[in-house]
Amino acid sequence: MTSFKVPVGPLHVALEEPMYFKVEVEGETITGLEITAGHVHRGLEYLAMKRNFFQNITLTERLCSLCSNSHPTTYCMALEEIAGIKVPERGQYLRVIADEVKRVASNLFNVGIMAHIIGFDSLFMHVLETREIIQDVKETVYGNRMDLGANCIGGVKYNLDAAKVKYLLAQIARIKTPIEEIKSIYNTDKFIGMRTKGVGVISKTSALDFGLVGPVARASGIVNDVRKDAPYAVYDKLDFEIQSRQGGDVWSRAMVRLDEVLVALSLIEQCLHALPEGQVCMTSLPIIPAGQAIAKTEAPRGELLYYLKTDGSDKPERLKWRVPSYPNWDALHIMMQGGKISDVPLIVNSIDPCISCTER
Amino acid sequence: MIDKVNLLKEMLACSLQGIYSLDVHVNDQGVHSIWCKLEDACDIQATASTVKKLGGRLSTITAYQLKSPQPSVNHEIAYHFDIYGATLTATVQLIGDDNKIMSLTPIFRNADWNEREFMELYDIKVVGHPNPRRLFIDESIDSAVLQRYIPYSAMVNAASTKTLWENIMRNRGED
Repeated sequence: MTSFKVPVGPLHVALEEPMYFKVEVEGETITGLEITAGHVHRGLEYLAMKRNFFQNITLTERLCSLCSNSHPTTYCMALEEIAGIKVPERGQYLRVIADEVKRVASNLFNVGIMAHIIGFDSLFMHVLETREIIQDVKETVYGNRMDLGANCIGGVKYNLDAAKVKYLLAQIARIKTPIEEIKSIYNTDKFIGMRTKGVGVISKTSALDFGLVGPVARASGIVNDVRKDAPYAVYDKLDFEIQSRQGGDVWSRAMVRLDEVLVALSLIEQCLHALPEGQVCMTSLPIIPAGQAIAKTEAPRGELLYYLKTDGSDKPERLKWRVPSYPNWDALHIMMQGGKISDVPLIVNSIDPCISCTER
Repeated sequence: MIDKVNLLKEMLACSLQGIYSLDVHVNDQGVHSIWCKLEDACDIQATASTVKKLGGRLSTITAYQLKSPQPSVNHEIAYHFDIYGATLTATVQLIGDDNKIMSLTPIFRNADWNEREFMELYDIKVVGHPNPRRLFIDESIDSAVLQRYIPYSAMVNAASTKTLWENIMRNRGED
């Protein structure tokens, strides 16, 4: 059998962002992989240390589009931990609503792209058309389709009046049926099964070894979720289960994401019904003393961790964030081994990679 | 969780050779943050092995320069571990020419990318790394890029070409 090295990327059909893979194959079978990253490395950690705490909210909102709410939420949580700031309860509920709205849009985008990669473009259109409902929600409630601009130190900078609550509940009711239909298609369609089941498999043992997080880990049977394991905001007051599957393949990862869309919709509904009256953020300017803190949230792709060290000035002494895609990239070595070269885009997409997040 | 934290304390007491301090914070929702300072940098491997035995994982690693009062050649590395939702941050210091630290890749596979990243950002050497090549920053760019002084204006690319000023002068009729 003839061996080749096939360059894939850095600009690639499955992704809008650049990552360069050198795929070793024997015939059509993958025997090795080399990943070269850094095409969109922007030195954002350095930049964060040159900007003040307020400017960094704007910066962290722009790290990435799909998880553009998780970053400022987690960053603000780290600041609030150091300063001992208590976010008002209404603000906590509104943070959860914003995060879960983003989760719905992010997960649907990923499973929609999966349909596109396997050539099922009518399904791709159907998923993206359904996703437009939540995009319209974002535009109506937050004024923007991607960056919600929802967070500030000590709470949020948006509010929901009775009309907006009614509108949100109506949109969730409207999106539920098409989501159930989409899930049913992914669950039963023969062609989706043929292209995605048993493809890009990573076992639970390997997933633990690579420190995987989020839907990628949960699709390999690892039952972890920051919202349960280290609850923040008001997740400990909400009723939900961690979604996991056992297959560890492309299909399982897509199904976990679809399951989590339905959980996210339920969480938004619960928050809207339980939304307490009161302030949405602290009413005075924060004073950030010297200190250090860890803040963790469950972003759409998994655990997002912020480490913040302050020295009493108005800028971070060190700000580091570890995005969920970061550990998941390396696991492609296992997922691709023995697979077919034609499945590379499908496997890469199945980790729902975020390159602008990873490289910063 | 409190049982696991107590077990961690006991196991660290048995396995660490050097002096260390341990500080446990619990927030209103019962989430534990454990801060451990290791005087002997070699103890980081024993700490990582202890976390692994407890079923924990390496979350990430943060390296930074120590300020005293200006950024110095001295570094601190904070290793962040997850133990069933609790976060253990174990820090070691590398002072002066002692800029070497043992790799955690034999214990945690995902230390690979983290160590490669801080090796390219700071003047820190990782001993025993299986693949110590650059991660994000191209080989053509100088090493230890994060500990060199870079003017903020250059960083944000505000040091623009003279075209901008030529346009302004032209608009003012001063060209």
